[in-house]
Amino acid sequence: MKTKIKPPFLCLALALTLVALVSAAWGAGSEGCLNCHNDITKVGKDHLIDPVKYNHTNHSKLADSNFGCRTCHDTVTDKHPKDGISVSATTRCQDCHGDVLEEYSKSMHAKNANCGDCHNPHEVCTPTEISGHDMNKMCAKCHEPAKMVEKHAEWLPQAEQHIEALPCVTCHSESKNYVITMYIIKREDNSRYGDFKLATHDELKKFVGDKDIRTLIDTNSDNYISLAELKLFNGNPAHKSIRLLGMMTPEVATHNFQVLANRWDCTFCHASGPEARQTSYISLPEKDGSFQRAEVEKGAVLDALNGTPDFYMLGSTRNPILDKIGLLIIVGGLILPVGHGSMRFLTRKNRNGKGH
Amino acid sequence: MSEKKMIYLQPTPVRIWHWLNALGIVTLCITGAQIRFPEYVNLFGTYKAAIRLHNTAGIVVSLSFSLWFFYYTLFAGTMAQLYIPKKEDLQSGIIRQAIFYFFNYFRGKPNPHHATPDNKFNPMQKSAYLAIMFVLVPLVSLTGIALMNIAPLRDLLIMMGGLKILVGTHFLLACSLCAFLFTHIYLATLGHTPFAYFVPMITGWEEVEEHGHEHKPVHDLGKHAEHVSS
Repeated sequence: MKTKIKPPFLCLALALTLVALVSAAWGAGSEGCLNCHNDITKVGKDHLIDPVKYNHTNHSKLADSNFGCRTCHDTVTDKHPKDGISVSATTRCQDCHGDVLEEYSKSMHAKNANCGDCHNPHEVCTPTEISGHDMNKMCAKCHEPAKMVEKHAEWLPQAEQHIEALPCVTCHSESKNYVITMYIIKREDNSRYGDFKLATHDELKKFVGDKDIRTLIDTNSDNYISLAELKLFNGNPAHKSIRLLGMMTPEVATHNFQVLANRWDCTFCHASGPEARQTSYISLPEKDGSFQRAEVEKGAVLDALNGTPDFYMLGSTRNPILDKIGLLIIVGGLILPVGHGSMRFLTRKNRNGKGH
Repeated sequence: MSEKKMIYLQPTPVRIWHWLNALGIVTLCITGAQIRFPEYVNLFGTYKAAIRLHNTAGIVVSLSFSLWFFYYTLFAGTMAQLYIPKKEDLQSGIIRQAIFYFFNYFRGKPNPHHATPDNKFNPMQKSAYLAIMFVLVPLVSLTGIALMNIAPLRDLLIMMGGLKILVGTHFLLACSLCAFLFTHIYLATLGHTPFAYFVPMITGWEEVEEHGHEHKPVHDLGKHAEHVSS
């Protein structure tokens, strides 16, 4: 889980100011470093940094407003790499994210992984800028998905469905709010029966040509997806190889990973009813691999036909109109017993001695 | 002249089949209500228990349905004869039967349908059964089985219009079956006494009043046995 970086603490700012005095002569900015570190032939896989992804991070913004890469890697000299000095970050994650580490240390996860095992500081996004799939990729580094499906299937009905439609952190960390986030998935190689994978920005670009990929769903580009726009997207024959995949995602992800007792009870998600499942977003990939979401019209995930044809949470995203039709049908079944029964009672004398 | 006569109407396999279906379908209705409306219905402890029971009952009823279907089509070979309305049934039989149920019954007139082992169901029953056993039950079973296997059937579901269509269809069909259940139970009280049709479904034997050369009683929904005079 990635967390939003907070403004540096005052003491850190003072320390950095001191470093700045020393390092000012070397010049700030990341450009010089990235000239080599974006080239795998020069630095190898382990030290490679994707400039597009890095420039999106809050870390790069922090670096740009301070001392470039030296904001964290302050041991680097102008003779690097010939001087042989290690440039591992001397600024530690907890220097800024102390509260996160404190929370994380209490979880049973802490002894198994440190920050860097899950998060790449050169690629981090905020919780809403990362797709549920990418969140789960972090977990999958250790927790092999097939094994997790098997393990969950011991107690969880439709385990595969659940693991496909949930970031692990939805159940294994706490958040006050959960929303439905929809992503576009696409059949591999546009084939008719290929597996669906999360669509990348470039893949979606092919559908819109010169236009912004948002226009794929957000036809009028107002950063708000109406039910009518969803209907257009779902019904467009040109969109045969792409579909919406819904996930229930946390708005804020905490780091106290655990097996939360109330998640064993299905009603944590499945009993909150249609009112609680009104808020949803469409999250689309950016060029840099992060995601930007747009709000969807309230109640779209409850629509029976046009909203999200493939997203259904048993019990909690049921359609209220269908509920009413169902009730009418059942009441209709009572018409004959009640109507015929009443007439039968009133005319009982006619059948005296003749049975019935 | 009227005399009382005992006929062996419901053989043991039919009675077991009927009550297994009854238990299964009532369980499906109640667990289904909890699955769809968990905030309002909680009769089985946990949601998971309701789902497991619903799935189990669904499989039992589907198997029981298949047994019925294959027995009558492949072994007995009487499916079409018993359940498909004939031309005359459609032209006049249904109307005649409807007039009886909704008019002449109240006037104390006899049932125009004379059941024989080869023609057990009256024209209205045939039509009702055609809809229920050939459309409603197979569709509600198939949609239910599909809902238990979403991942392997993904492509099929997309072709059909998605999970929502499947869930909605399953729900509305199930409501229709539930509605039929009320009608079915009510019609079963139309014997010469209110419980006259319930007893044979338990013991197998039914007491009928014979008026000269006939008759089977007014209503025989759910009866698949041949008549054996006692």
